[in-house]
Amino acid sequence: MKLAVVVQRYGLDINGGAELHARYVAEQLARRADVHVLTTCARDYITWRNELPAGESDVNGVRVRRFPVRRARDPQRFGRRSHHVFGSAHSVADELAWLASEGPASAALIDGIRRNEASYDFFLFFSFRYYHAYHGIRAAASRSLLVPTAERDGAVGLSIFGPIFRGVRGLMYNSFEERAMIQAVSGNDAVPHVVVGVGSEVPARTNPERFRQKYGITSPFVVYVGRIDENKGCPELFSHFERYTRALRGDLSLVLMGTSILPIPDNPRIRHLGFVSDEDKFDGIAAAEALIMPSYFESLSMVALEAWALGKPVLANGRCDVLQGQCLRSNAGLFYESLPEFVETLGLLQSNRHLAARMGENGREYFRRHYAWPVIVRKYMDTLNRLRAEDQAGRPGAGLEPLPGWFTRRRALQPPSETIVATLPSGPVRGLEGRR
Amino acid sequence: MPPEFSVRSDSVDVDQIMTQIRARIREKRGVDYTEEELRQLASVKLENFLDPTRVRSDLIQHYRRLRESGGVDGAVPPPENYAFDDHLVYGSARGFSGRLITSIRKLLNPVLKLFFNPNPIIQVLNRQGAINEYTREQFERTSALNYEVMHNLVLELTRLSIEVKNLKMRVESVSGRLDFSDRRARALESVVQYRPGTGPAAEPAATAVSAPAPSTAQTARRDVEAAGVAAPVKGEAQRARRRRRRRGRSAGAGQPVAGGAAAEEPGEAGDGADTPDAGGRDKGIGLPFDGREPGPAEALSRGTGEPTDQ
Repeated sequence: MKLAVVVQRYGLDINGGAELHARYVAEQLARRADVHVLTTCARDYITWRNELPAGESDVNGVRVRRFPVRRARDPQRFGRRSHHVFGSAHSVADELAWLASEGPASAALIDGIRRNEASYDFFLFFSFRYYHAYHGIRAAASRSLLVPTAERDGAVGLSIFGPIFRGVRGLMYNSFEERAMIQAVSGNDAVPHVVVGVGSEVPARTNPERFRQKYGITSPFVVYVGRIDENKGCPELFSHFERYTRALRGDLSLVLMGTSILPIPDNPRIRHLGFVSDEDKFDGIAAAEALIMPSYFESLSMVALEAWALGKPVLANGRCDVLQGQCLRSNAGLFYESLPEFVETLGLLQSNRHLAARMGENGREYFRRHYAWPVIVRKYMDTLNRLRAEDQAGRPGAGLEPLPGWFTRRRALQPPSETIVATLPSGPVRGLEGRR
Repeated sequence: MPPEFSVRSDSVDVDQIMTQIRARIREKRGVDYTEEELRQLASVKLENFLDPTRVRSDLIQHYRRLRESGGVDGAVPPPENYAFDDHLVYGSARGFSGRLITSIRKLLNPVLKLFFNPNPIIQVLNRQGAINEYTREQFERTSALNYEVMHNLVLELTRLSIEVKNLKMRVESVSGRLDFSDRRARALESVVQYRPGTGPAAEPAATAVSAPAPSTAQTARRDVEAAGVAAPVKGEAQRARRRRRRRGRSAGAGQPVAGGAAAEEPGEAGDGADTPDAGGRDKGIGLPFDGREPGPAEALSRGTGEPTDQ
């Protein structure tokens, strides 16, 4: 089977959630199929500047073909258009203009997909919200599988994505909550799909002592791993943690791993280590009491899965349906929605070691059962084989709805996308069969 | 705090743990109001407390109306922004004749340019249109933020005032319970002192009541001596002496004995050991349940009968 993984950025030094997800999936599927990666020359997700050379290269044994981005993103214009389409009535043309300004606008990549459509059995598109996925799927809908990596934000309520969700050949969801949201917004229940998620390359053995010695950390600590950003809920985490340390005596510290685009509070109990190697990351998680995941929007938290794989409990932001659902289904993490809940839950994890250890064990089992690579790869291959068999039997998918006409496209008939998102069902899915 | 939290960690059920945690937080915080209730309370609070100081209680509603109407009440809505371009200067919307007029205007454009150059005007107006649109967007955004801030302030103020009220009630309750415990403790102390045969005070008191008193003055002196030996029962001995004195008065009113007893009082009071206050309070015993000094009947019943279990 010949597969093309299409993603906005790709590389060993690119650690965005969807990009890392795409790389892991490409590398795993490459053992079972002929996998090519089609991507852009961009490295920076804010500007999409062409930084990597166009053409073919090899990354961890996977053939990668890069296409140049036609123009860099203008953040001001993108911000204005986002504000317009998310917050007020607008037209389909406005949404398409928003998508073009979001980027990465690589016409060469779309052209490459169109020209090579017949060369691949399937195209696996990552991240529905970007230019490459929308136009790429329109170029090769009958062979397209989408890994939406959708979060509960305004983009999911835009009308241009409805036909995409309904017209792809199959969908690989990250979580039950993501599936419920996309099905509610687009009515694509009939499209073949599977809730699969992603695995992680977790080392079999870790060395927590090495981490403690390297960074001189002697006291117990909880860890946050990821970009230190407002969108990830970090300001709230800092505020809650500082108040927790004031409310409860003890020597618990908060260790932050990741690039920061926010000022870190000047507090001796908050340590920022910056960007760390994978070895340090895993050793750090293994040395921690628990992992904190304060993000409001996640389609799947890979770092939470990694913590569970290492037998550590997770303390998550309960306002993120996906994280809350995972904590409930795994029985391996607690969650908070307010400061009192943060204090109580963190205090409980800190004080009740037996409970924390038991939750860690549950997490390890949850990861092994649902997110170990053999499970993930089997789900992918089963889906791809089933779709190929259906195609060969002459039962292709529904096909893509055409864009509205020139005049209709320019009429401001679309409601603000945020109002659509607000009406979508919310809350965690409690059972693995998808019940809320 | 957390260590006393009871969670069975053998079979972890996160849902159940979170339910327990939330119940515990509710218990600590008192009544848990829903957002809707808070909003309702917010309006009530404003009416009750802000109106008297001439602050508008319908501030939020007024603000909301302003936002919906897009300006001051009753004012006409702002005109739509005019997207200006060169087509609007030369164009016409009259169908075929309009197209003819447009062509003629374009033909005559070079002649017009002999008098003045319309291009900068078109550019400036076009840019002004864009600026107007941008300003309007900015204003709407700020307005929305103002509304949200005000709304949140009112909600938070309400939440805080409810919390203050709850705390006041709790302080009052705790203070009442403290008073009660204080009085109870003092009463129990006195009961312990009076219980016959259980404490050092019991013997002298019993002796004082049952023995045939040779004379009140002798008994009183003996009591004072006993009090000197056993300091803790000094107040008790004094009470017993007082009771005997009263009994003596009621038994032989007008007899010299009573006068003698009365004559002893200044001397006894003078040594500072005879007044009930000095004997009772200094040793921390003898006050009744409600904290008042005992009346004659009460003093008698306590000295002779079984103490009541208070």
